[in-house]
Amino acid sequence: MRFMMIVKATSDSEAGVLPSQEQFDAMQKYNEELVRAGVLLAADGLMSSSNGIRISYPEPGGKPKIMDGPFTEAKELIAGYTLIEVKSREEAIEWALRMPDPHGFGQGEIELRQVFEIEELTNNDDLLAKETALRKQVKEQRQA
Amino acid sequence: MRFMFIVKATGYSEAGGNYNQKYTDAMIAYKKSLAGAGVLVSAEALHPSSTGIRIMYPSDSEKPEILVGPFLADQELIAEYTLIDVDSEADALNWALRMPVPTGCGEFKIEVRKLKKNLGFLRYSGTCALEADLKDQLSMLKNF
Repeated sequence: MRFMMIVKATSDSEAGVLPSQEQFDAMQKYNEELVRAGVLLAADGLMSSSNGIRISYPEPGGKPKIMDGPFTEAKELIAGYTLIEVKSREEAIEWALRMPDPHGFGQGEIELRQVFEIEELTNNDDLLAKETALRKQVKEQRQA
Repeated sequence: MRFMFIVKATGYSEAGGNYNQKYTDAMIAYKKSLAGAGVLVSAEALHPSSTGIRIMYPSDSEKPEILVGPFLADQELIAEYTLIDVDSEADALNWALRMPVPTGCGEFKIEVRKLKKNLGFLRYSGTCALEADLKDQLSMLKNF
C-alpha cells in the first residue's frame, strides 16, 4: 500500500528560505534509509506559492476563476511530499515519525495520507484496463 | 519544468464518494491526452483524511504531537494530484485549465505549483539506476 507524507509549508518555506545544511543532511540521510529499505517511490519539494496559481470553479458548470499566488494560509499549503510503498499502515506511521522535523523552529508539520489504488476507485473493468494501460505508458515514457 | 496540479478536497471527496461516471470518463480521457503528449509524470488520488494522521512539531521540543484524522475539509485538504513535465508555465496553465471538473458537487479548486529542481537520486530511482548502468557500460567500452 502506498502512502504520501505531505510536508506543510511554513513561513520560512513560503519566504523561499532554503533548509540549513544540518536539516538538509538529516533529510538526505532519511531519504537514503528509505531507498535502502526499498520503500521510496518519489520525493519532491515545491517552490513557494508566490509563483503558484489557483484555478477554482465556484459555480458548477461555470467559468474558472484564476488567482495568482502567493496564498496566505501557509499552514495549509504544501512545501513537499514523499511517496512510499509499504506493507502496512503501522509501517507508514513509523517512517513518518522518523522523518526529520521539516522546520525545526516550531512550525514543522507532516500529514500522512494513504493513496488510492485504482481497484479501490472503481470496479468498472473497462476503466481499470484503461488506467492500467495509461500507467504502463507513462512508465515506459519515463524510462525512455 | 515540472508542475503539480493539486486538486483540493471537497465535502464529497472527504465523505469517500466517487464522482459521477461522466467525470471519471473525462478524467481518463484527460490523462490519456497528457500521456499522449508525453507530459504526464504521475497522477494519484488520496484516501479521505479520515484515515490520515498529522505529525506536528509545535516547538523545539523533541517529541512530536500526533493528530488523527478526519481533518476539516475547509483546511485546504488534498484529494488528488497530477504531476506533469512541460516546457513552459503557459503550457502548464493550459493543461490545468483543461482538467475536467465534476458537476453538481459544489465548488472545485485546483492549485498549480512549480516543483523545485530534481533532488538528485530521489527522482525516478528506476531511471537513475538505468542511467548508472549505461554510464558503467560506456566507460567499460571506452577503456576497452
